[in-house]
Amino acid sequence: MNIPNSSTAPNTNEYAGDEVSAIVLDPGYNTTRAGFAGEDVPKSVCPSFYGQTDSDSGPQYLFGENAIHTPTARLGIKNPWGSDGIVEDWETATKIWEYAITSRLTGTKPTDPAKNGLNDANGDSMEVDIEALENQEKPLEDSPLLMTEPGWNTVKAREKYLEIAMEEWGTPAYYLHKTGTLAAFASGKASGIIIDVGASHTSVTPVLDGMVLRKGVQKSPLAGNFVSNQIRLMFKQSSPEIPLTPHFMVNSKTQVDAGAPSQASMKVFDIPPLDSFRRHEEERVLTEFKESVVEVWPGPGRFSNGTNEEIAKAQPGRPFEMPDGWNQVFGSERFRVAEGLFDPAAALHDADNPIPKADHCIPRLVQQAVSHVDVDARPMLLQNIVVTGGSTLLYKFNDRLNHEINTIYPSTRNKLIAPGPVVERKYAAWIGGSILASLGSFHQLWISKKEYEEHGANIVEKRCR
Amino acid sequence: MASGRDVRDMLGLSVGGDAQKTAVQKRPKTTAPTRRIQGVAREVAALYGERPPPVAIFEEKKAYRAKRQSTGPAKRWVQQSFTNQARIDDLMLKHWRRKPAPQSAITNGEDSAMEDTENMEPFIESNAEFLKYNVEPEMPTFTDEEYDAHLRSSDWSREETDYLFQLVAAFSYRWAVIWDRYDYQPSANSSLAVQEPSINGDSSQALAALPFAPSKTRTLEDLKARFYEISAKLMKLHIPEVQMDADQYAKYEMLAKFDPALERTRKTLASALMNRNMDEVKEEEFLLAELQRINMAANRLDAEREELRSRLEAPVPNQQVAAGLTAFTSSQALQALFQQLFQQDRSKKRASGGAPGRLSLAGSDILATPTSAQHAQIAANRRQSMATLPPPTPIRNLSPQEEIRYNVSTHDRLTSGVTFGSDKLLKMRQAKSNVQTQKIAAALQQLGISDLISIPTARVADVFEGLIGKVGKLLDVRKVREKEEGECRVLESMKARLNGGGGADGAQVDGAADGEKLMKDEIRDSQEDVEDEDEDEDDAAREDDADAYGEPDDVDNDVDADAEGDDEDEDAEGEEDSRAQSVRQPSESMSTRHISAGHKRSASVLSQASTKSSKRVRK
Repeated sequence: MNIPNSSTAPNTNEYAGDEVSAIVLDPGYNTTRAGFAGEDVPKSVCPSFYGQTDSDSGPQYLFGENAIHTPTARLGIKNPWGSDGIVEDWETATKIWEYAITSRLTGTKPTDPAKNGLNDANGDSMEVDIEALENQEKPLEDSPLLMTEPGWNTVKAREKYLEIAMEEWGTPAYYLHKTGTLAAFASGKASGIIIDVGASHTSVTPVLDGMVLRKGVQKSPLAGNFVSNQIRLMFKQSSPEIPLTPHFMVNSKTQVDAGAPSQASMKVFDIPPLDSFRRHEEERVLTEFKESVVEVWPGPGRFSNGTNEEIAKAQPGRPFEMPDGWNQVFGSERFRVAEGLFDPAAALHDADNPIPKADHCIPRLVQQAVSHVDVDARPMLLQNIVVTGGSTLLYKFNDRLNHEINTIYPSTRNKLIAPGPVVERKYAAWIGGSILASLGSFHQLWISKKEYEEHGANIVEKRCR
Repeated sequence: MASGRDVRDMLGLSVGGDAQKTAVQKRPKTTAPTRRIQGVAREVAALYGERPPPVAIFEEKKAYRAKRQSTGPAKRWVQQSFTNQARIDDLMLKHWRRKPAPQSAITNGEDSAMEDTENMEPFIESNAEFLKYNVEPEMPTFTDEEYDAHLRSSDWSREETDYLFQLVAAFSYRWAVIWDRYDYQPSANSSLAVQEPSINGDSSQALAALPFAPSKTRTLEDLKARFYEISAKLMKLHIPEVQMDADQYAKYEMLAKFDPALERTRKTLASALMNRNMDEVKEEEFLLAELQRINMAANRLDAEREELRSRLEAPVPNQQVAAGLTAFTSSQALQALFQQLFQQDRSKKRASGGAPGRLSLAGSDILATPTSAQHAQIAANRRQSMATLPPPTPIRNLSPQEEIRYNVSTHDRLTSGVTFGSDKLLKMRQAKSNVQTQKIAAALQQLGISDLISIPTARVADVFEGLIGKVGKLLDVRKVREKEEGECRVLESMKARLNGGGGADGAQVDGAADGEKLMKDEIRDSQEDVEDEDEDEDDAAREDDADAYGEPDDVDNDVDADAEGDDEDEDAEGEEDSRAQSVRQPSESMSTRHISAGHKRSASVLSQASTKSSKRVRK
């Protein structure tokens, strides 16, 4: 009896797979996902934020979960992504991605014996081919790399991706794919409309037979960070103002009644971290708040419609306790903070945070995306609406989305495909990339180093359509 | 027969000892059939007694995963370099593969492993496994000459056409994607080309590079129209229309007939359909549901009516209700009986109190139909639907089409009772005599009509009735013919006898002269009948005719009797049968009755009429 085990060869015909230990890198605004193709979860999920401390000897960079949450003196937290959803700071972005790959996947290479100084006595060893050594030092020397990009990535950015991978990481083969398509692949769909609500951006991508319909790609800034901002506004506008104290400032807390001011002892720092650090830490609290309190009004109709608000008030509230012990039960407010995603007019606003554009809400994005697709393909696309991204995990998000889409397109059969497991929802693009890069038929698509050298970075436009 | 015991007895062997043995043997036998209950301790099983519990109690066997069988030492895997043949460059990737079994198995230790890896190094696998997925779309191709000669367009430059073809190939005819990515930028070359002809003044080149609007927005239909037009032209160029096979021609037609305007209209309609608002959609849904409901109701009504009609289709009632139970063999007879009893019951009820009884029905219960109320009542009775039904709907006059649709037939007079169509058909097959019945059956079989007619509807019954009538006629005619032939034979033999005998009695001849004259006429008439049938016979008959004068009367009578001898019974029966038929089927034509009544008396009456049918019989 041959029971499949770790030492038996996989049956290639089963899934047409042929793994070449490719690495899939899915950089996002909030986290950067990396892992080996063929696996079902990214092995390395690193924050895309990095810490920077400016000392006399120049800026020091800190990467990784542990480093950026430690309140170090004069630590500032930055993000290489621009506000338009395209990488701005290439230098640190490269470092973060490299960190994501090397910290968990390939490991740091031991220094070559020719260089580590142990063999210095022998002068001849220095004659070794320097170029070969340099190549060996590169982190991706023997792994093909599949990277993901947002649907609206510019040509320049795409070429930059390729250059980084080839020049700095020395990957033998490279491919660039849009997150939308990959998320559809992760759900087993080749065509569909992909609604990706991430941290910085919400995007709607129509995909037909594995190809993004560029004209239809829509994006808007109404995403996870927008909801966080709404929560901040809600805290600020409530009376009395709700204090937002991140964990790192609290030394110890004592229990207090709901709504009562906290009685916590705070930590004292000689040289405190910068404000950006505090803001980033506050985001963590807000994330927790989003996960445990915020609820999307499930519909039908908008939250502000008719008696919906009354109904929401009648529902039991949810308690939340701040790191400093302050706590309260949140009632209908918890619906309001997420309402802006679907109904910008209902969003909280003040002088600094104007009401977002009506065109930016998710239903309108879908409508826009669909209208840019050929009429014949529309019904088929609407049957495969893939929902992905961490912010879609907001409670009742899919119910509302379903209602909204059915209101726009009452005559077609609209189907939402939202994978249940959290990991699949959050990392759909990575999983799709993992599937794609482990296929045997994918090998012919790689851009090899040789091709890159022949045609230059422009080849990415020709190959990765 | 002697048993073993008897034999033993005879041979003087001891019987008792053997009996003891069997008793001993029997004991284990009785215990053997009781099935042992699996998985229960024997003592516990014994507590069940003789009968094991109806639900099998058994302990599930512990199913551990089968033990992994050692397949020798751990298999070695290597990172095998391979190239993909679908690639133009020789990119070398590595995948993990089982290391092929080493040639020298008896080497051990690390040394051998090292040797192996060294040996394996140069080998590069060429992976063709996934080549089959690398399919290129089929594209029409054209040369420059062909383009210049046939494919020019005032709207499309050569460059743009090439660009379009390139995109079509790149996206494998996915038009939605092609249109999405279509972003033709006239290159610097083409702008040069625009300027060149003006310098050269070459008219053909000027046509090739007309000053196009720099970046025209093309609709999907424009792209398709251009591509299909070129494809169609190329197809026609490569294969002349006449040489195309069906598939090719169909494809050619489809390509040539592409109409962008029509397609555009279709898409506008499609998008309008998609962009309906909620109310419109709801209305449509409502209407569709309504339509479905109406259709279903109509179907149900049709089915119910059909059923009712089939029950009301009055068959010929069994007129000869013979005494005894044989009368009640058919469903029809039973129905009549039921009817009778029911009537009695009702009259009794009415007499006693007038309150509706178990089987009685109010007049309003009946679904009014164009047929008589009585039958509807019967049908209603059968269904026992005593619940209040809607009041009778007024009788409508139906158009012929409607009559066919609802399967409504009108009858002047209907007999009571319900019969099955099949019974009716069966009855028609049966004649008075067995012989006649058999003959009818044979005729029907010859016509290829099966014994059981699968769907005996009223119309089928009508047609069948006509057919049976014709078969009856046919059989009658055949009988006449046989009779005539018999007569001919007799006369022939008489003639032969006359020729041979010579001396005949003159007085007798004279006396018979009158009768003979009559006979002669008859025979001549019949001759016409026979004439058609057979030439030889015809000749013989003429001789016959000529020599018939001196025939004695008594002989004639004798012969007649002889000739008819066989048929006599049948004829009598046949006549009766036909009479019965004529009673049953008042619509039957007069000629049938005429024949059946007249053929006995004189065949000559028939001869004219029967010629055709006898011919048909022969055929």
